[in-house]
Amino acid sequence: MTTETITQAPGPARTTPHSRGNRKQARRNTLIGWTFILPNFLGFLAFTLIPVLAAFALSFMEWTSFTAPKWVGLANFQRMFASDSFWVALRNTVVYALGHVPLTMALALVLAMLLNRKLKGIGFFRVAIFFPYITSLVAVAVVWNMLFSPDSGPINQFLHAVGIAEAPGWTSSSDWALPAVIITSVWRDMGYYMVLYLAGLQAIPAELYEAAEVDGASAWQRFWNVTIPSLRPTTFFVVVMLTVSSFKVFDLIVVMTNGGPGRSTTVLSQLIYQEGIGEGKFGYSSAISLVLFLIVLTVTVLQFKIQQRRER
Amino acid sequence: MKRTTLAGIALAVTAGLGLTGCAGAAGPAEPQAAEGKTRLTVSVWNYEGTPEFKALFDGYEAAHPDVDIEPVDILADDYPQKVTTMLAGGDTTDVLTMKNVIDYSRYASNGQLQEINSVVDTVGKDNLAGLDAFNLDGKYFAAPYRQDFWLLYYNKDLLKAAGVDEPKDLTWEKYSELAKKLTSTADGKKVYGTYHHIWRSVVQAIAAAQNDGDQVSGDYGFFQDQYTTALDLQKAGATLDFGTAKSQKTSYRTMFESGQAAMMPMGTWYIAGILQAKKDGKTNVNWGLAPLPQKDANGKVTTFGSPTAFAVNKNAAHSDEAKKFIEWAAGEEGAKAISKIGVVPALKNDAVTAEYFKLDGLPTDELSKKAFTPDETALEMPVSDKSAATDKILNQEHDLIMVGERSVADGIAEMGKRVKDEVLK
Amino acid sequence: MTNMAEDLKAPDLTGGAPLRGGAISPEDRRHNTHRRSTRERKKRTTNVIIYGALVVLVVALMMPFIWMVSSSLKENNQVLTVPIQWIPSEFVWSNYTDIWTRIPMMGYLQNSLYLAVIITCLQVLTGSLAAYGFSKVRFPGRDVLFLCYIGTIAVPWQAYMVPQYIMMQQLGLTNSFNALILLQAFGAFGVFLMRQYYMTIPDELCEAARIDGLSEYGIWARVILPLSKPALASLALLTFVNTWNDYMGPFIYLTSNRLWTVQLGLRSFVGQFDAEYAMIMTGSVISVIPILFIFLLGQRYFIQGIATSGMKG
Repeated sequence: MTTETITQAPGPARTTPHSRGNRKQARRNTLIGWTFILPNFLGFLAFTLIPVLAAFALSFMEWTSFTAPKWVGLANFQRMFASDSFWVALRNTVVYALGHVPLTMALALVLAMLLNRKLKGIGFFRVAIFFPYITSLVAVAVVWNMLFSPDSGPINQFLHAVGIAEAPGWTSSSDWALPAVIITSVWRDMGYYMVLYLAGLQAIPAELYEAAEVDGASAWQRFWNVTIPSLRPTTFFVVVMLTVSSFKVFDLIVVMTNGGPGRSTTVLSQLIYQEGIGEGKFGYSSAISLVLFLIVLTVTVLQFKIQQRRER
Repeated sequence: MKRTTLAGIALAVTAGLGLTGCAGAAGPAEPQAAEGKTRLTVSVWNYEGTPEFKALFDGYEAAHPDVDIEPVDILADDYPQKVTTMLAGGDTTDVLTMKNVIDYSRYASNGQLQEINSVVDTVGKDNLAGLDAFNLDGKYFAAPYRQDFWLLYYNKDLLKAAGVDEPKDLTWEKYSELAKKLTSTADGKKVYGTYHHIWRSVVQAIAAAQNDGDQVSGDYGFFQDQYTTALDLQKAGATLDFGTAKSQKTSYRTMFESGQAAMMPMGTWYIAGILQAKKDGKTNVNWGLAPLPQKDANGKVTTFGSPTAFAVNKNAAHSDEAKKFIEWAAGEEGAKAISKIGVVPALKNDAVTAEYFKLDGLPTDELSKKAFTPDETALEMPVSDKSAATDKILNQEHDLIMVGERSVADGIAEMGKRVKDEVLK
Repeated sequence: MTNMAEDLKAPDLTGGAPLRGGAISPEDRRHNTHRRSTRERKKRTTNVIIYGALVVLVVALMMPFIWMVSSSLKENNQVLTVPIQWIPSEFVWSNYTDIWTRIPMMGYLQNSLYLAVIITCLQVLTGSLAAYGFSKVRFPGRDVLFLCYIGTIAVPWQAYMVPQYIMMQQLGLTNSFNALILLQAFGAFGVFLMRQYYMTIPDELCEAARIDGLSEYGIWARVILPLSKPALASLALLTFVNTWNDYMGPFIYLTSNRLWTVQLGLRSFVGQFDAEYAMIMTGSVISVIPILFIFLLGQRYFIQGIATSGMKG
């Protein structure tokens, strides 16, 4: 691969001759590292980490918010695993993530590459792609629901025109509501992640492309051998953020289908909100959040490990 | 270089403009309570858009010059969520407005409200409509100041054009026939005979009220007829189908005020709304009121309703003053104050009803007056600590029946099964 | 700082070999001209295709926004009609003048701006600092700590919103901007984004600067920061947009009306049983304009290249 010979693949800081085997330097590094991290970390610790840990602790208790919390051990978890609604919400969340993540990522990358050039008025197009993300959610929900309307919506009319007789019921049917929501959310988020990919594409030095061309690589080969590897840290970031936000999805679902019809689009965040703030069962809702957290953490650690192995 | 200077200037202007907001630019700072006055805080929703609060607060301050009422304005959409969060943090707001009975039962059973039996006794148990909802083992933790119930709004012109004089003594069969008759497509504009909003109470609460059914019981056979009627109307095209209404967030006000629906079962809160709309010229619907259709035509009118109440926070800073306010608001003075703006008070006596009908623009025909005095008003949803969870399940299954994914029988069976398994265990 | 955008922009992936400089013979010149015009023709066709695709894309993307604008010019009871009316039957321009008096819109805009600017600045500053620590400095426990950061992103806010609120209540910070600033300016998102970007900056640059005698802080300020403009711009933009559109945070922590942000102000048109959708859409359109402005300004930074010439030394 041309990249390897010309420049080092991007990666974390290697151990330099200075810090290897030099304890004083190591201690100095620790001090320096912490001074960089401290401003952000203090705020993070106090206002995010501690409440999160408190919430996790609550999952082993029963708390109606007025009386003192009461320890109940694993009772919340037992209730959760026996609850039909939990499994429905879990399944919906996973399906949503499986649909949302790859589609958004692929489209965001394609758009970023399409718009990473100096064409006249390219700025206008970049803004336009970002539009869905800044449009009011209510507007998004109303218009997309109209597009998805089973009888009069343009999507189904188009499907009829190309010969599909049994068009899906989209947001009015339990089977197709989740795909409809996935489509809407991909449309909405691709601009957001395109911004991230655009920034990542800027980090690729032109010399790499030039060298590849000199070596006779075609456009596709350049894409595969220069662009993709150079984008790895950005892709990692995009994939992790996409996965995490897919598991946490809330606003779009609430505004578009409110979990319906029935429970076909109810997701875990909604369940947490309903049980906690909605019904005052803070212990139970914390238990659900702990499970959600563990799932996402596992997936993220996996992605982290894959990324680290690739970089070696 | 020029570009960076321009950007720099833009940034400075933006920052400058923004920093003026650091003290809160959307209004003057709160005035401190004047010397000697007690400052009573009351949680409300949408203060600007809900004139009943202002009417009550102004009236009370006029009658009690030593009290200054400060509304704690919370957005209507997520009102219960915020109140729950505030209470969890030990908030000291004095008076909490109970937006609906389900939230009340939760706060009351959690011990977050003070008992106000004395207030209720003073106002008079018999005159307060909807008071039963707040009875928790003989104790009252809130007193209703407003009682909305459901009746039928109808478009007089559309009915007359179809040759119908007044929709009186309607049974559900007659109602269905009438709705189908009134459905038309004139000049490409579709007019529906009626409009059923997407709330589950349009089917379930009516069924419960008129069949003496219990919505927290786990047995929902009594929903059968009402669902059959509703689905039949939908299939005949006499009302907008549920799927479309829900996904496009159809506004019931739009349907009625634009003349797209000839009839509409809806709550009495809409009276204030349509009066204002007509005054502002936003609609010219010639509207009338009639009692809700009934099971049989024996003249007895049963409908359902929902009271709105005030309660005293357990952690209130001024408990006594709070109780005095509630006594005034739920009593005759408060009732008269809100009648003047078209809101239906909970207190029912002749003086109050007469005051209400003095409202400008209210239809004064006999049928409307009859609609106003139903014989029986059941609660929209029974009060218990299981109400919230049951409500959620019933909502979800209601969706599935109305979009046609489950047959009525299957849907009702599923509802019962889920409620029994998940809530009543 | 010279603008090296021209040399360093990512090249056209559809082809076009780099122009060679130097002396050219007349034959070569003729040859080159011929090749250049074919290339230019090919490039022009590609551009046309690209433009065409983009226009179609844009229309598809802007539809809800078009509906938003059209709704903002209708009466409230004309917005949610079935079927959708794309063009208002009568244009209610007065919505755009009424909204400033119906709610203190200007005040709300100022509040939103204040919050967004402060939170964005803090987030970018502390995030890029912390990211340097996480990516360019080696110390024990670094990766575990970083995982902690990412871990908290995995927890939905609904889960810990009540413990946070209680903490703020104890600190007496409820009903103030400071609560929101403290909660949102130190998020893990900024740290994560910047760290990933820093990892693409070769360590040789840092090494070279160290050899030159710069302290770590100096390296951060003089070498890393200028190189990470695209990432800084993205972070700033995304943080700004998220703060501007945030509803739940201000809803829970800002009780007094004078502190309300635009999103809260818009929701005040939602009543107990109904909503004034036209006014909500009017407000939404107005609220989108600052974001568009900032995006148009900032998107240039996504293409302003980075100086990697440090490598050739």
